[in-house]
Amino acid sequence: MSTEQANARFFKVFVPAMVIYVATTAGIASLSDRHTLPPYVLYGLTLVPIGAVFAAFWAQWRFAMELDEFLRLIQIKGTLIGVACVMIIASGWGQLERLADVPRLPVFWLLPIFWAIQGLATTFISKREGVF
Amino acid sequence: MKNRLRALRTERGWSQSVLGDQLDVSRQTINAIEAGRYDPSLPLAFKIARLFGHPIEDIFDDQN
Repeated sequence: MSTEQANARFFKVFVPAMVIYVATTAGIASLSDRHTLPPYVLYGLTLVPIGAVFAAFWAQWRFAMELDEFLRLIQIKGTLIGVACVMIIASGWGQLERLADVPRLPVFWLLPIFWAIQGLATTFISKREGVF
Repeated sequence: MKNRLRALRTERGWSQSVLGDQLDVSRQTINAIEAGRYDPSLPLAFKIARLFGHPIEDIFDDQN
């Protein structure tokens, strides 16, 4: 499979998954604020954005497997940097929350932080390796 | 790792894309191997060697 085909297959799943994630997250937050639905319905509804995140990671996995070995290595390096940064932020901020009186960081933000760092790291490594 | 991939490719008048298509990898991967920025896996090195009809050690030099 060519890189272009793998890219197209990735975005075909990733973009709708992220649109569903953002839309349902906002919708559930709005419903929660209005107190119109019982909590168990809201808990059930959160399965939709969770499913969207699962689909996005599945697409990421499939994309990496469909690339050739050099481009796959770049993707894996970017993903590892994203995971490492999220773990450092989560554990570092967690320590501050435990020991100092810093404002709480909602774990909800860890996913967007991961995607942002993973995207930037992959772009940076690709540029350094002469991919584009 | 140093290698003779660029020389072998240009001898045959192939572009990086053409070579990539024959080896089932991207043009970017060929470019990275030629520039010495990426060492191919053993299966890919064997594929390259077979395609050009040379032993692996004639194409890739791990001594320098």
